[in-house]
Amino acid sequence: MASLLLDNVTKIYRPRGKAPVEAVKRVTLDVKDGEIVALLGSSGCGKTSMLRMIAGFEDVTEGAIKIDGKEIHRLAPAERDVAMAFEGYSLYPPLKVRENIGFALLRQRGAGADIEARVKEVASLLEIGDILDRYPSLISAGQQQRTSLARALIRRAPVSLLDEPMSQLEPQLRAILRARLKDYLIAHKMTTVFVTHDQTEAVALADRIAVMEKGELQQFGTPDEIKTSPTNLFVASFIGEPPMNIFAGEVSPVSGGVAVRGFGPDGTSAFALKAPGLELDASRRVQIGIRPHLIRTGTGASDATGRVITNHWLGDQSHISFDIGGCTVVGVTDQPIAARAGDALPVGFPLRAIHLFDPETGNALAHGLDRAP
Amino acid sequence: MERVSTLERAIRTVLIVLVLVFFLFPIFWIVLMSFQNNDQILRIPPSILFEPTLANYTTLLTGKLQTTAGNLDIAFLKNLGNSLLLSTGSVILSLILGVPAAYAFARFKFRLGENIAFTLLSFRFAPPLLVLLPLSLYFKQLGLTDSYFGLIWIYQLICLPLILWIVRGYFEDVSPDIEHAYRVAGHSWWTTFRKIAIPLARPGIAAAGLLAFIFAWNNFVFALILASADKQPVTVGALAFVTASGIQYGQIAAAIVLSVMPTLLLALYAQRYLVEGLSLGAVKG
Amino acid sequence: MSGLVLSHISKGFKSGKVLEDVSLDVNAGEIVAIVGPSGTGKTVLLRIIAGLQEPDGGTVAIDGVDMTEAAPESRGVGMAFQNFALFPHFNAFDNIASPLTARHTPSDTLKEKVGAVARMLKIDHVLGHAPRELSNGQKQRTALARALVAQPKVLLLDDPLRNVDAKLRYEMRMELPRLLRSYNAAVIYVTQDYKEAMALGDRIAVLRGGRIEQWASPRDVYAAPASVEVAKLFGDPTINLLPATVAQGGIQLLGRAVPTPQASGAVIAGLRPEHLTVSRSEIANGIPCELDAVMPVNVRSVLYMRGPAGEEILATVGESEAAKFGREHRQVWVDFAPENVLLFDAASGARIGHPAH
Repeated sequence: MASLLLDNVTKIYRPRGKAPVEAVKRVTLDVKDGEIVALLGSSGCGKTSMLRMIAGFEDVTEGAIKIDGKEIHRLAPAERDVAMAFEGYSLYPPLKVRENIGFALLRQRGAGADIEARVKEVASLLEIGDILDRYPSLISAGQQQRTSLARALIRRAPVSLLDEPMSQLEPQLRAILRARLKDYLIAHKMTTVFVTHDQTEAVALADRIAVMEKGELQQFGTPDEIKTSPTNLFVASFIGEPPMNIFAGEVSPVSGGVAVRGFGPDGTSAFALKAPGLELDASRRVQIGIRPHLIRTGTGASDATGRVITNHWLGDQSHISFDIGGCTVVGVTDQPIAARAGDALPVGFPLRAIHLFDPETGNALAHGLDRAP
Repeated sequence: MERVSTLERAIRTVLIVLVLVFFLFPIFWIVLMSFQNNDQILRIPPSILFEPTLANYTTLLTGKLQTTAGNLDIAFLKNLGNSLLLSTGSVILSLILGVPAAYAFARFKFRLGENIAFTLLSFRFAPPLLVLLPLSLYFKQLGLTDSYFGLIWIYQLICLPLILWIVRGYFEDVSPDIEHAYRVAGHSWWTTFRKIAIPLARPGIAAAGLLAFIFAWNNFVFALILASADKQPVTVGALAFVTASGIQYGQIAAAIVLSVMPTLLLALYAQRYLVEGLSLGAVKG
Repeated sequence: MSGLVLSHISKGFKSGKVLEDVSLDVNAGEIVAIVGPSGTGKTVLLRIIAGLQEPDGGTVAIDGVDMTEAAPESRGVGMAFQNFALFPHFNAFDNIASPLTARHTPSDTLKEKVGAVARMLKIDHVLGHAPRELSNGQKQRTALARALVAQPKVLLLDDPLRNVDAKLRYEMRMELPRLLRSYNAAVIYVTQDYKEAMALGDRIAVLRGGRIEQWASPRDVYAAPASVEVAKLFGDPTINLLPATVAQGGIQLLGRAVPTPQASGAVIAGLRPEHLTVSRSEIANGIPCELDAVMPVNVRSVLYMRGPAGEEILATVGESEAAKFGREHRQVWVDFAPENVLLFDAASGARIGHPAH
């Protein structure tokens, strides 16, 4: 369809009588033709402002936005050739669901009889085929959201913008609709930017994720990059459910490698690991991050002994939390673990699961201590 | 797009000034009039340059009106006192009756509830003159004519519907869960009503009370018919300035300024309640 | 007995029946999770227990005493509301203290108790703040502290984590069991999130259409759901449901014969996504499917596939396998073990037979 470039884009709001707010700070994003990009962050991080700037509902304070190399940020929204699904749905109340979805196609010449077929296709994709003749006020919030999404998808516009497209989705439909949506976007090579606060949705759908916080782009990379090499503590703790375990700690040189020690809340050593093959000149303080899914328990694990706090079997995975020297450590396994609260279990921290961060700046120092630096 | 051009800002300023002039000029003019004598007021063309006089106010405060046709006794201060008594009394009475009723209408769905609420509101639709004649007959029979109690009772008919409908809206805005939480915490219904429902509807109660006070204060026709000279409020009392020797514009202006004062002060005082947000962030959403 | 016993509770409104013959018992120190889609009467049930609504029939007994007619303030129940329902004109301390003031607790005991519960929930530094000055997480903890402070015999939690962010919700999921157990109350925990229910509940009641559809341990609800609807509620991604007809003692599932000795007629076969294995290269007996989309989740990935007859199938696979699949459609081979198939009656939705677990 088209490529999209945000070139050093800044957005400053100047509310009357208040200090100006820098909602987006010099963000550069290049979205390739046909790529699906997620803008991920908590509320107020600037992700919606970015989407609205691309759509043309907000001015760009500084910088440029280009579609296929052509500057569009001074054009009116209708001239930009973007489709948008709004978080608030914004359906036309006097029109039926069918007409709402087909509305944007009426403007396109040559669509003709094709409209009906395309409405049906996208409606069945989003499981709203049976409510096409209802009015928006008579359908549930989840259905309204899907209608709004359908209205944006049906256009197959050069750039599609989706604002929290699945936040109201009924849980039982979530997985299958995400799957169909992803398949549809890829099949039609649709360049898509979607905003979400839900990291599972971002990871599931996107080719690349832009993690935002306080108006700044924290990291822009594939879900895998973001998971395995988060640039800083914020990204590391935002991605993953349960979030990454993080402890204060220290690394120090020892013969034949590096020793990593994690501290409990009282500052005493809670666990110690040895990373052979790494070299370090002097000791330094670090923040240690360990992904719950990579923590091992039971036989073969010997890095620490954990006292079980909670042990929950969720049908297809176990979530278990330990107390290790005052640190609470959460682990996830595929198999049920036979342990009760209070039991002591051996716990293993594979070196490849260890991330080190600078305690002051939060920036990443190392990912996976088994890799040579 | 939130960018505002200079032209737009200028137009906006001009419009605001026009609106302010439109609304505030009459008040400004009345204040000026209250410091002028009748000759100055009736001069053509009018002028805002004049030698101010306090004569109008002294007349009102001493109660002696000197006209070319002789001296008259004016019971303006007495009228002012009556107005205060009648308005305050009726507002308090309608708050006592209206707030619990508003709560009941807001919280409980009962048969004919809506009809009763609407009937109460419809008291406001009937022209007062329509009910005055039968009312004055009833009052004679009951011996309520020319009594403060009788007048407050009638005034309360003006206030009650207002209070009922405004406060009901505020009660409806308070999540019932907040009251339920207090009940479950172990408090009785009555404590919950006093400690939770009333304080949370306070902005609404203040607004409704103020509005009711103004309506009661401005009432003319009930008092004209049902009250004798010594029970009359200012609205009726001001008639005295229409004398045999002409209309005393100066005194009327001064009377207006003085009679506006209590409502104005009350409004200023209650302002903080009126603007205070209802949702104080206790409930999500 | 100590704890809460509900017997044959029913409740209807003008719009229809909301609860029908609901019976439950919760022992002191036990957590019962009530799960169900919205609008199934979960909240009404809590209100009936709290005394905020009267049931049309049935009884509520707390510690062996019939409380059906008792006023809410005399039941000794603590409740946390989904929307927090803090008193906006009280600060956090007074909010938490409100159950104690009702019991005329002397002020030093009151301070001590509020302080203790606030420390436990890590909100002791914001006790002087008004609710509007609290973050969502702090509001939620304040509401929880208020429900706990008077050590109620019965604790009702109405989806208390609904309105807090994902990270905090997860933290609380880990923290709550220990906290709740230390109070030894009979806890009813209402939620729409099956993971929360499985993590927190000692037993789970699945409420659908005002009836208890299943009343069992978390493990059993997941492994042996009573009906199609229960199976759909528990599991993420949702269970694959494929209609089939029993012929000659078996069904054809994705083109493969599966023996179904107990079943007959029209059935629905349920296959959980984690019970499917997916291979890139042809395997013996593998079912050829088209892989349409790959969606990573933590260290797993959800694969979206089309079966031999175009059926939509979801499968969960580990990280290492998922990395091999690209963005384009491609052919894969799927396998499953027949003993993992759950069978449901197509007409009633009820599960047939006993699956191995």
